Amino acid sequence: MIQAVSPSDAEHDSEPHAAAKTVHVRVLRQDAPGQESYWERHAVPYEPNMNVISVLQKIAERSRAEDGRQVAPVAWDCSCLEEVCGSCTMLVNGRTRMACSALVDRLLEESPGEIELRPMSKFPVVRDLKVDRSRLFHALERVKAWVPVDGSYDHGAGPRISPEEQEDAYPLSTCMSCGCCLEACPQYTKIEAVRRDDESEADFEQRRTAAFDRGFIGAHAISQAVLFNGHPTGRMIADERLASLTAAGGIQQCGNAQNCVAVCPKHIPLTRSIARAGRAATVWAIKKLFDR
Amino acid sequence: MNVSDSDQSFFTRHQFLIYRLFSLSGLIPVGAFLVVHLVTNASVLAGPGSFQARVDLIHSLGPLLVPIEWAFIFLPMLFHAAVGFVIIAGGLPNVGSYPYVGNVRYTLQRATGMIAFAFIIWHVIQLHWMGAPLGGGKFDPHHASSSTAVALQPIGVTALYAIGVLSAVFHLANGLWTLGITWGLWTSPAAMRRASWVSVAVGILLGGAGLGALAGMRRVDVEQARVIENRMDEVKRMLEGREPVGGPAVRVPEAAPAVPVSAPNSSEGS
Amino acid sequence: MAQGRVLVIGGGLAGLAATMRMAELGVAVDLVSLVPVKRSHSVCAQGGINSVNALTRQQGDNEWKHFDDTIYGGDFLQHQPPVKEMADWGPRIIDLMDRLGVPFNRTPEGFRDQRRFGGTLYKRTAFAGATTGQQLLYALDEQVRRYEAEGRVKKWEFWDFLEPVLDDAGRCRGAICQDLVTMKFHAFPADAVILATGGCGLVYGRSTMSMVCTGSAVSRAYQAGAAYGNGEFIQVHPTAIPGADKLRLMSESARGEGGRVWVPRKSQDARDPREIPEAERFYFLEERYPKYGNLVPRDIATREIFDICTTEGLSVEKDRLCVYLDLTHLSREMLDRKLGGILEIYEKFQGVDPRSVPMKIFPAVHYSMGGLWVDYERSANGGMEEGAVRNQQTSIPGLYAIGECDYQYHGANRLGANSLLSCIFSGLFVAPSIVSATGSKPASAESRLFEAALRRQEQRHESLLSKRGGDENPYALHQDLGSLMTRVATVVRRNEQLVAAYGEVCDLEARWRRCSLSDSGNWTNQNVVFTKSLGDMFPIAKLILKGALLRDECRGAHFKPAFSMPGIAATDPVEQRREAEQWCDRFEENTRKWLKSTVARHGADGHPQISYEDIDTSLIPPRPRLYGLVGGDVIEEVWKERGQRQATGVAAKAAVAVGAGV
Repeated sequence: MIQAVSPSDAEHDSEPHAAAKTVHVRVLRQDAPGQESYWERHAVPYEPNMNVISVLQKIAERSRAEDGRQVAPVAWDCSCLEEVCGSCTMLVNGRTRMACSALVDRLLEESPGEIELRPMSKFPVVRDLKVDRSRLFHALERVKAWVPVDGSYDHGAGPRISPEEQEDAYPLSTCMSCGCCLEACPQYTKIEAVRRDDESEADFEQRRTAAFDRGFIGAHAISQAVLFNGHPTGRMIADERLASLTAAGGIQQCGNAQNCVAVCPKHIPLTRSIARAGRAATVWAIKKLFDR
Repeated sequence: MNVSDSDQSFFTRHQFLIYRLFSLSGLIPVGAFLVVHLVTNASVLAGPGSFQARVDLIHSLGPLLVPIEWAFIFLPMLFHAAVGFVIIAGGLPNVGSYPYVGNVRYTLQRATGMIAFAFIIWHVIQLHWMGAPLGGGKFDPHHASSSTAVALQPIGVTALYAIGVLSAVFHLANGLWTLGITWGLWTSPAAMRRASWVSVAVGILLGGAGLGALAGMRRVDVEQARVIENRMDEVKRMLEGREPVGGPAVRVPEAAPAVPVSAPNSSEGS
Repeated sequence: MAQGRVLVIGGGLAGLAATMRMAELGVAVDLVSLVPVKRSHSVCAQGGINSVNALTRQQGDNEWKHFDDTIYGGDFLQHQPPVKEMADWGPRIIDLMDRLGVPFNRTPEGFRDQRRFGGTLYKRTAFAGATTGQQLLYALDEQVRRYEAEGRVKKWEFWDFLEPVLDDAGRCRGAICQDLVTMKFHAFPADAVILATGGCGLVYGRSTMSMVCTGSAVSRAYQAGAAYGNGEFIQVHPTAIPGADKLRLMSESARGEGGRVWVPRKSQDARDPREIPEAERFYFLEERYPKYGNLVPRDIATREIFDICTTEGLSVEKDRLCVYLDLTHLSREMLDRKLGGILEIYEKFQGVDPRSVPMKIFPAVHYSMGGLWVDYERSANGGMEEGAVRNQQTSIPGLYAIGECDYQYHGANRLGANSLLSCIFSGLFVAPSIVSATGSKPASAESRLFEAALRRQEQRHESLLSKRGGDENPYALHQDLGSLMTRVATVVRRNEQLVAAYGEVCDLEARWRRCSLSDSGNWTNQNVVFTKSLGDMFPIAKLILKGALLRDECRGAHFKPAFSMPGIAATDPVEQRREAEQWCDRFEENTRKWLKSTVARHGADGHPQISYEDIDTSLIPPRPRLYGLVGGDVIEEVWKERGQRQATGVAAKAAVAVGAGV
């Protein structure tokens, strides 16, 4: 019935992939750490302007796989949905990105027929698409990514900073710790510590931290070290940051694949940071050699 | 922290230093040697005499040649290769998911490193005197062009050489670019792009030299070259006040090791 | 060094500021958050943070004027001492954030740059690119990470606050929280509990707020007895990008730079907007407000856009209400230069280039001015007494609230770029109060309190998990709640709708009890967590509706057409004055009746008990807000004369009194 088609329907029909009206999704699920992962297919009704988040919301609401089986909603992390909180990183069609800014229309252009969702592969899976990224935050602690102020009592304004310095620092400061750079980095490999039966929570924590400390620190933390070593107050502990950047798992592990900068959703000049950190490490190491 | 410190191996504790030495060794001396080696070899394009003259110059180091070879070529190369394999083992190439130029280069860097390493081992066995016990060692420093030309004669060998040489060249040229980032020579994306072009140019020039050398070797007229080499050898011996060895007859390959083995060692040194 | 252990719930700007300050003062802090604190909703704030600064000071600005703008903007619905204190602290807070490394935009000479925001005449707003909230949050996150590395702070990320634990005297002695990964429950005994859990946007389904802004933590405190203030005051932003998952902010600057708002004159005209001729476009803001055009004040823009789509049925789309915000007549170079960042957001999420196709926008719930009722102690100079135990304390002793989840600073309407200030201020300011409170703590709480609370929570959890055969879907119910609340309790409120909606919310709540979960496991079960927080949205929805229903007036964000006070219709000067006098009489009467905080308490029957509390307006007497009102100048004249009369009257009385004394 021609009359039954609403104007909006007609508009959608003119789009090639909208004709099906259904978005097919393949999700790699895992019920808990240490369990086998498995694929599950879902189908949700197509809507214009859908993103992967709204697809996952519909999957949760339906709670049924494509074959009609009742299944638990897929677990995933999200919060702001406007690509500024860094929560919803996952592998969409095989590539790391933020689920909120992954638009279904574009994804279907990329791979017609089906959207594939997988959890990040460099972090231990907690459940389904939710992973444990505590190593990423620990790396920020390793490089002392903070300005070492005396405290929060009033001491007047901060140092004067030129607009050029601000423009240099600002992009680095927009890093939202999403972990895309780490996921895409061929040098960053997964560290999954499993608590042993005879191990206390504290012992496990310590063992895991030690493993994190040896692992590659990653582009995001190198960039933060560069950010704070560029700040007039931050650079007062520049040597401590360079010491961690040149410790085991430090900047030397970078393999210059430059995937980090290619996948960064915030377009942070990560390779520039890495090269700057490399230069600082060179100068620092040589100085240390001769000042000893 | 003490617990984890003691857990760490020597390699882990000195990771930064080792990786930086690794990076440096790729340029100096290994990379520098590659440049000298390929340019020397390319001199065969100017005729067997020209190549022989350069080989003679190198071999004029006499008894110093072996320690120099080991100190500046073999050991650094082995170090570079050993660390390189550790690095390769620690990485997870993912060029399938992220087919960006930088990532392709990253993957190729590792692949060419491994190819070049395998090639160099084969190359040394085949031509260097140390390979004689394994049936190689076919390079005769007194008959540089002719012995090499004979060794490279099978087309398959030349093809494998081309792959090996181009791998080594790519590895060096691209390594030059990554070294500049690692040490912080070029930091901005624009500078990296410029440096990229420099490394492309270096790669093309070196690759040209390497392939030129191969082509040159294939063009060598073995008989004619041998005549020239023998004459040069005679002149050399005369200048050194010694008898010429053997006549102009073609040396059978099986007999070849005897002379080169003794040449750089005791017989000439004493 | 102070002693004690404090539990902070929520790691946004307020929670982190409080944590940082308390760690510095030597208090051990447990910091509980639904998400890693760096991912809190504060990151979404774009514009900036207000404070008097060296530049504006030389142009005649001072802390008092910032205070006055905030009070006036909030339509006088705030107690004035805390707001005064906040304005006084503004410069120090900006300096502090500057020292912490926030990359504020700079002038050529290297000073902080400032821009002008709505509701003021001065360039008070410091900003860091288009992500000021993110930058401020990161600076505090970094300081807290530093204290965490030193062992002074322990973070509990991916944990949910379930209930405050009260002793027999009604004092808060800690809380029960749940690990959202292992689903295990844990009791946190604490000398004080601070809620810094932000707004409740999810009560409206989709809003500009993050998915963690469920309001459930606040609701749980409210259900445990904490009073809730001014719940009906919800700020709606006029221009947001409607999305299937959330509504994303489109900055006011799009209109500031020449963007035009229109709808096709024919409802749901299916043509490409670029092919609709000028004559068939309805530029309703420009036609109805020729003076202001597209730059009418926020609340008016919001109401007009809302009305044109709902009442007049001229929405661009049928299923999804929206109007066009058109920039296509402007040059690409100019757009890229001035609006690059925000246009990229639109392009990124809509997949359409707003430089060539008109944007589709609609108002969206943006901020909750209301929140947990909190106390303060007035200082001698009319501000807040630093270190007083009562500051920021809810009606439950030992339970504190700061940031967006308290009701204290923004009255009936929040000024742009004031929220970041209030969050950091309340966070910093509460710390010395906590130190005072922990110093005078009674003997440690009995473990039976915690055991009982743990059992209660475990039972609630188990009963949700084990319920079988329920026919209700929590996600569908949430959508119903959201559309209902958005329809009746946002821009325009009508009593008959509110009454009906209250009943519908009660029905939804009853249906919620029949929810059965599709995931009955006990590992990272987001299904049960969501269902629980949905259950806790109903009490908040009810207090918003009831507060709105009872408040028969228009004030700030709360607009009831039936009680609006239109401007002056007359043109004759004498008649105009008479109408203005009447208007002022009515205003005074309305002030007497309604200038009161709404205080809601959770009744035993599940319904909110509403009472009203007088407001401390001792520093700035209330005056009418006349933004854009017809005849506003005449009303203002009359109002000023009244003020003078009153002042002389008071002076005369005082003189009489003095004379009598002599």
